Amino acid sequence: MTTIRMVDPAAAAGPTKEIFDAVLRREAGVFGATSVSNIWRCMGHWPALLEANWNRSRALMQRGRFSPLQRELIATAVSIGNACTY
Amino acid sequence: MRLGVDAVGVTELMGVTEHTRALATAAAGLLLDSLDSERALVRPLDPGAAEDPARELLAEIADWAEGAMGRRGAPLLWRILAHNPHYIEATWRKDRALMSDGALSAHDKQRTALGVAMAIRGRYLIEYHAAILKHAGDTDRDLLEILGVVDHYTTLNTLSEGMQIESDIRPPA
Repeated sequence: MTTIRMVDPAAAAGPTKEIFDAVLRREAGVFGATSVSNIWRCMGHWPALLEANWNRSRALMQRGRFSPLQRELIATAVSIGNACTY
Repeated sequence: MRLGVDAVGVTELMGVTEHTRALATAAAGLLLDSLDSERALVRPLDPGAAEDPARELLAEIADWAEGAMGRRGAPLLWRILAHNPHYIEATWRKDRALMSDGALSAHDKQRTALGVAMAIRGRYLIEYHAAILKHAGDTDRDLLEILGVVDHYTTLNTLSEGMQIESDIRPPA
């Protein structure tokens, strides 16, 4: 169970809403998401954290020379190693 | 899994991950901290002193290392495992079975293995897989791209575990 309440994207405003919208566009295209995923909703309580990590996500996961599959393989393998079930 | 990887591909990914973690544990347990480490917990065996089938395997591994890493001789980890012919044989055969082309390409597997080694700070395995990738033509920028994914997912894993976020991402039906 999540330790904090998650931000409702429908109630977000300003830069947080802009990032949530960008996250949803991205996730809808990559894996057919229909709502902002929980990891980003949790960061929404602190807009500076949300923005910094979204910028890093764009820089490191969307703008490299590797294929999306290659990056996803590494990401999944690292997450397994970190025992991260998310 | 997304991006068109089927159950076989996912299983290969799990295999590459556990194999890399196991080898990194073995290397760390042996106090191997680099490909040219001069001290280790167990003395590397001189290939000429090994008993068959370890001797034949070390010759096979040396051939592989020259082609895959551009290095002469079997890497230290294998020369140490050669003290136990059963250990080296089972582990080397597993390595070749898992790291060869399958549903995932051998190159993708090597990049994934380097990411795993970086994530667990396995110095020996970092050098080992980086040597293979560089010999295959990967550049410093490519290695940094792998590190970037490791770095970013360390962030996401830490947040999701720390906040105990339940996954809302489901596999396709």
